[in-house]
Amino acid sequence: MSGAGTTAAAKEAAGGKTTGAKETSAVSLASTLVALLALAGLSLALRYAHLGAFGLPVAMIIAAAKAVLVAVFFMEILVERVTVRLAMSTGIVLVGILLALIAADILTRETPPLSNPPGTEPRDRG
Amino acid sequence: MSARAATHFEDLERQEQAARLGMWVFLASEILFFAGLFALYFAYRNEHPRGFDLGIARNTIAWGSVNTAVLLVSSYTVALAVHELRRGKRAAAAWLVGATVALGACFLAVKTGEYLEHFHEGIYPAGAGAFFAENDEPGIKMFFTLYFCMTGLHAIHVIVGMGVLATLLVRVLRGSIVPAASYPLAIGAVYWHLVDVIWIFLWPLFYLTPGGVR
Repeated sequence: MSGAGTTAAAKEAAGGKTTGAKETSAVSLASTLVALLALAGLSLALRYAHLGAFGLPVAMIIAAAKAVLVAVFFMEILVERVTVRLAMSTGIVLVGILLALIAADILTRETPPLSNPPGTEPRDRG
Repeated sequence: MSARAATHFEDLERQEQAARLGMWVFLASEILFFAGLFALYFAYRNEHPRGFDLGIARNTIAWGSVNTAVLLVSSYTVALAVHELRRGKRAAAAWLVGATVALGACFLAVKTGEYLEHFHEGIYPAGAGAFFAENDEPGIKMFFTLYFCMTGLHAIHVIVGMGVLATLLVRVLRGSIVPAASYPLAIGAVYWHLVDVIWIFLWPLFYLTPGGVR
């Protein structure tokens, strides 16, 4: 999609003073909405496809695709300055580290939690 | 009305850049804030898949889906408002911001209805309520505690976003936000988009993805 483009009207309105002159066109905004609703429809349809254990990762991939569409075309992250992109990238990298380390912990536990940990037996037995 | 930079900024461009960077740093901290809750969700879901399955089955897919559509459309209307204001169409921008606030109110109305439905069923936060006496599957209390916590915090963000946009609407109508310096509306819109993005992830986790545990 070649959505981001500087329009003459935006430049004129901005008077060349502000940096927010690069903007997503109205057509790109509408196309983004259609794509978002289509992806939401896909998520909903897959709910009834009984994907079992694959349902969650597939839904998360679709959600991530929707988040990217919102960030690029609605939030205009790509036309922001490098400082802004750095701030957001730092947040996303830290989230990645958080989720990766938690996943590394819970997915590699060898022993399941005890159903009756020591010391929890009923006292009045016998 | 012309736009002027505050005295401590050299020019309007630097003032805009400072404001934009400030908002994005705030949004990055918001993402980290919610990421902790998402991590908690995944960890407990991994431990109690059946309890989470039962919890997801108790939520009404239709209401969650309606709210998803409402927030996606509201993101579009506020993005279009920024677009129109940059082109000098103040009236159109004001209508679109107003529509966004109204859509936020629709979202909250549906969410309130859902909460009331849960309360009626005896489902309250922290595992309180008659529902849990009859349904003692491990993990189901945690599911609904996370549900109320995450959707409740999200709803607070929706309310704050509506307040921010309503304030910006007044400023657009009064002419204190002008096309030559439309960035306050653009920055408010970016916050609203983040609220949308968070819901994009909450919707499948709480409504759409039973794990198919037998």
